[in-house]
Order: sequence, then structure tokens, then C-alpha cells
Amino acid sequence: MKDLARKERVLRDAGYKYYFDRALYLNRKTKKAFSIEFVEDKPADELEQKIAEDTTGPGWHFFFTQEPSDAVQQELSRALG
Amino acid sequence: MPERTVKDRLREEYFDLLPDIRRLAEHLETEIRHRLLPISGKLDKYEQITVEARIKECESALDKVLRQQEGRTFDPAKAQTLRDLKDLAGVRVLVFPKSRLDEIDLALQPVFESPTADPILGDDGERLALKYWGYCPDASRKIPSEYQIVPMLTGLFWTVEHSRNYKPSPRLKDAVRGAGIRGLRQTALQALGAFEEEFERLVRDERSS
Repeated sequence: MKDLARKERVLRDAGYKYYFDRALYLNRKTKKAFSIEFVEDKPADELEQKIAEDTTGPGWHFFFTQEPSDAVQQELSRALG
Repeated sequence: MPERTVKDRLREEYFDLLPDIRRLAEHLETEIRHRLLPISGKLDKYEQITVEARIKECESALDKVLRQQEGRTFDPAKAQTLRDLKDLAGVRVLVFPKSRLDEIDLALQPVFESPTADPILGDDGERLALKYWGYCPDASRKIPSEYQIVPMLTGLFWTVEHSRNYKPSPRLKDAVRGAGIRGLRQTALQALGAFEEEFERLVRDERSS
């Protein structure tokens, strides 16, 4: 629980909000999305690393424990706008 | 004609399985009530055991499969089934006081041929309730079912929480996965557990004096 609280703080400080309809932490400016499973499973250090990672391009970047298929990425990108 | 979605296919599967789900719920409830008779017949006035069977509704079953997908999005290329859900039919046994839990657990062991224990744990790994799933071949060979043995106040809290928060919109279940609200929920469960233990202690002390 303590670890999860720390990770949630890290995400909030980096401008992420929890979008529970899809169980994703989102930052619309950087167009990055972390699944709740990723946040729960991965250590805080790895999460911080991914938040800091330079991602370019207009599309969304999804951080899941298992790489989402193209169809899932397209559906999520459409839903997130 | 529009293409059938994953949800369409799952809805069809649900209604194919519905006779089995109904038969299982009835079978499990009857079996559990029967096995609890020797205990329920000797309960003290302040003690209670209630047995509640329930059938998972179609949209709730679909939503549970959806919530097993990251990003809560079905991959159309991936096969999905409701047959892996353990709780399409289930029974919850609510028990007061908690000290009856082990006795009830033992009495219900023969309910499934090969039960799998899957206790419900709190965020700190503490055991909140007992849960088993397995097959009852007399009622269905297609799908499993489950039963839970839950301290009464904890079970009633879950019932209220479910009917108030999730029943109108099952997807709200993901709203309570954040650390903040999980901490508050844990505090509520700990308080109910402590209340139950203290209440039981008071009754025991009064009876022994």
C-alpha cells in the first residue's frame, strides 16, 4: 500500500490523472498512458524512468505489462482523443 | 449486417450457460444449508449464520471479463469466454461471531470434489474471508462455482458497498483501485473486524461471569 501511495504521488506530481473508465493513468500533454496493472506491478523507479522517457510523435504511448495489440491501441487512442 | 462484437459473443455465451448457472446456484445453496444444519441448530441466541445464493448478471459477467483486460479494452483477435469465471454462481455464508469460521469451513469442505482455496486478502495480505471454487458435476460440468465464508459485518459492508457503488455501474470498481480510496476502505474493514472481535469478547466475558 505504501509503495502504491508513493507511485500515485509520483504520477500526480508529473501531471497524471486516473481515468477509471479504462483504469489508466493519463497525461494528455505528453500523451502517455499507464495501465493500473503496470503501476501496481512495476517498481516506483521504473515508473519514474518511463515518465521521464522522451516520447515523440502525435500518438499516444501506452505502458502496459503486456504490449497491447494494434487494435487495442487504436481503440484506446480513439477513446482518449 | 454489422459485425458481431466480443460483447455480443459473450452475451450469447451467457444465455447458453444460464440454465447451468441457475442449477448450480440452487444446488450449491441446498448443499451448503444441508451441511450447516448441525451447526445452525446449536447456535446461541446472539449467533447468526446466513446463506445467500446469487447469480451473476449478464452485464456484470461481461464487465468482469473486460476488467481482466489492460486498458479495459477487448482485443477483437483474442478469444474471450465466460467459462473461466469462477463466480457465475456463488454462495456467501455470513457468520457471526468470527470464531465460528473454522468450524463452518470444515463442515463445507466436501461441497466440491476438488476445491481450490482462494482466500480474499486485504491490501496488507491479511485474510478477510475464506473462498473456495470448484465443480459440482451433478449440477454442471461446464462451469465452476464458488462459495465464500465471511465475517458478518465485513460481508454486510461489501453488500452495501456493492449495491451503492458498483451495481449501478460495475466499471466503478476500478475507481476504488487508487491508493487513497483503498487506504480508506482498508480502514473501514479493519474497524469492522475490530468491532466484531470486541463485541464477541464482551459477550464471552458476560457469559463466563
